[in-house]
Amino acid sequence: MITEISQKDYESLDLSAPMLIEFYSKTCGPCKMLSFVLKDIAKQKPDFPIYIIDFDENRELKERLGVKGFPTMLFFKDGKEASRLEGLKQKPAIIKAIEAIA
Amino acid sequence: MSTKVRYISEDHLITRQNRAEQEFLAAFNAEKPGLAAPKVVVNPYLINPLCALVMFTTPTAVAPTLTVHGKRYARENLSHTFKAATEHILPVLGLYEDFANQVTVTLPDGSSNTLTIQTGKLPEDVCRCLNIQASLDYLGDHIMFLTPAGKNLPTAYDYRGDIRWLLTENTMFDIKRVKNGNIVTGSSRFCHMPYNSTGMVEINLLGKVYKEYRMPGNYHHDHFEMEDGNLLALTQDFSRDTVEDMCVLIDRDTGEVLKTWDYRKVLPMDVAGSGSQDAHDWFHNNAVWYDKRTHSITLSGRHQDAMINLDYETGDLNWIIGDPEGWPKEMVDKYFFKPVGDLSKFDWQYEQHACVVCPDGDVMCFDNGQYRAKVKEKYIENRDNFSRGVRYRIDTDKMEIEQVWQYGKERGQEFFSPYICNVEYYDEGHYMIHPGGIGREDGYAAKHLGPFLDPKKPNVELRSITVEEKDGVVLYQLETEGNFYRAEKLPLYHDGDNLVIGDGQLLGNLEVTEEFDTVPEAEEVFELPPSFHNIFIEEDEDRFVFHGRFEKGTLAMLCLENEKESHNYFLNTSASWHLAMCSGAFLEDDERDIKMHISKLGLSGVFKVKLIINEKKYQTGVSILCPA
Repeated sequence: MITEISQKDYESLDLSAPMLIEFYSKTCGPCKMLSFVLKDIAKQKPDFPIYIIDFDENRELKERLGVKGFPTMLFFKDGKEASRLEGLKQKPAIIKAIEAIA
Repeated sequence: MSTKVRYISEDHLITRQNRAEQEFLAAFNAEKPGLAAPKVVVNPYLINPLCALVMFTTPTAVAPTLTVHGKRYARENLSHTFKAATEHILPVLGLYEDFANQVTVTLPDGSSNTLTIQTGKLPEDVCRCLNIQASLDYLGDHIMFLTPAGKNLPTAYDYRGDIRWLLTENTMFDIKRVKNGNIVTGSSRFCHMPYNSTGMVEINLLGKVYKEYRMPGNYHHDHFEMEDGNLLALTQDFSRDTVEDMCVLIDRDTGEVLKTWDYRKVLPMDVAGSGSQDAHDWFHNNAVWYDKRTHSITLSGRHQDAMINLDYETGDLNWIIGDPEGWPKEMVDKYFFKPVGDLSKFDWQYEQHACVVCPDGDVMCFDNGQYRAKVKEKYIENRDNFSRGVRYRIDTDKMEIEQVWQYGKERGQEFFSPYICNVEYYDEGHYMIHPGGIGREDGYAAKHLGPFLDPKKPNVELRSITVEEKDGVVLYQLETEGNFYRAEKLPLYHDGDNLVIGDGQLLGNLEVTEEFDTVPEAEEVFELPPSFHNIFIEEDEDRFVFHGRFEKGTLAMLCLENEKESHNYFLNTSASWHLAMCSGAFLEDDERDIKMHISKLGLSGVFKVKLIINEKKYQTGVSILCPA
């Protein structure tokens, strides 16, 4: 399931569960493409939580998490960042990262 | 077809040259002219307007001498005697542009014929010589070949600065004469930004392409001919997220990749970065040199300010020349050298190019010197900086290094070239130093690299300087417009076969272009894309290149479709900024203009080309033929 969140929503997330948080920008072609990839993954893994955050509107959070560009995908587990993927990736790379934490 | 989509299909240059050669040979064989009225073909291989062929027959086998007369006096004449034959196809090299050149063919019996070969004007934007200090006594029959670092063309200048050789194809990067007398340089066929071309080409000075060596990871920067004729070439693996960090050995006959060296196996990627480093281009390998004495390869990595040496067989790291600041202590202790000798004259090299191993094991390079420090706080401004050629003596037992020669520091910012360039070792005390990437703004060394400067602005100058020094005396200096990647001094004629008749070959393989397995939802419309996108498709025998204009952030995908299958390629419309731009040949003026190369390898059949732009899938009216 894909849910759009803000920094405020992020603060109340329970990061102990495995999840993917993607920083995107509305002005980014690869981010638009990634949204279709993530939709496909959400269909394949409907129970895995995917959160998307607007990079431009949540600058303090992206600074805090060390996100330098978009799209950036952070994979969380047990309250910590387990891995990250920077730039547009295809389904197999993202699924591999999900399966490593799920 | 609508003007909204442009399309051209052109045979590979090799195919066009093969056809041209067959045509002039057929005409020659039909006429069989004698020396009194030889057949003359100007620019026979289509890409060198300053050359010609003179063809004639003689009743018996004789060795003709061809002389290209100097523009001013006989001492400037270029002469070459060819092998004895009855059918003569003589390359005429080094013609002056826009000039009625006098060319004399003399036979051993003293008979001769002087012909006039008229050449045309060269392209208006060709880079001209601005200053030259040279003499015939010093240069003899050599001229200076410069390879382009942008949209300029490979050009060679004689002792007066006159252009005597030029290719109208933008072949690029290194240029080296190989043992058979041919030239190996980079192909002009675009593959991947910022400057990767399909591979290397082996050509003669008429411009005839004997072989194109295609490489799956493409070619960039440099190559080196091994003793057995095989070629070391710099490349990468595009399936990885890093570039310019591999070297391969290419079979000279088949184009097959025989061996690979992967620097990721021996170097950490996140340490000691130069001012231009990013995670993607972490090493930026710009030169390779094989040393038979130590059976090792030396590689220059601009983005770690390091020259590294690897064991040829194992690929293991032997040593690193560079400022050790920022490297892990265990690596510094094991691989780095300690400066000795007169330390007041010692400088490390930074963002260097063109490593050369001298016969005695000394290591030379062009020390571009950009940033000239390992940490940001100590970076040197370009206008306060210098570039130079430098020679280091290394003792690999004691792990000591001594600077034994340099040229350029004393010339300061006037000689400063933050990218490209090379040095050549001719003999002890006799060197070439080529700062080919000089950019000036308002009279000072510019802050940005040449390809990002606009030479049309009155306060901007792009310059290339080539100096030769012998025993501390400058004997040659050439200054031209534009930026040139490397310089190589060569005679036009050599003792081998200056022309071999027969079809050129396309060897090796391109990569299978990565497809995208997710296709965005888009409504198919039966119309062409809006003309703003300026779509242009260039089809070649083994690939095609898609060009289009897109606002930043556009979702775009190229789709190849037929009734059986579809293949989809994501088009990245994000503006990108490159910290290295060793050749601006493929740069577009408008950053919204993108291009993508699609290899035909792995595709079979006829495919309609369609284009997804945001929520619509457009037709282009173009079909691509991919032979099985």
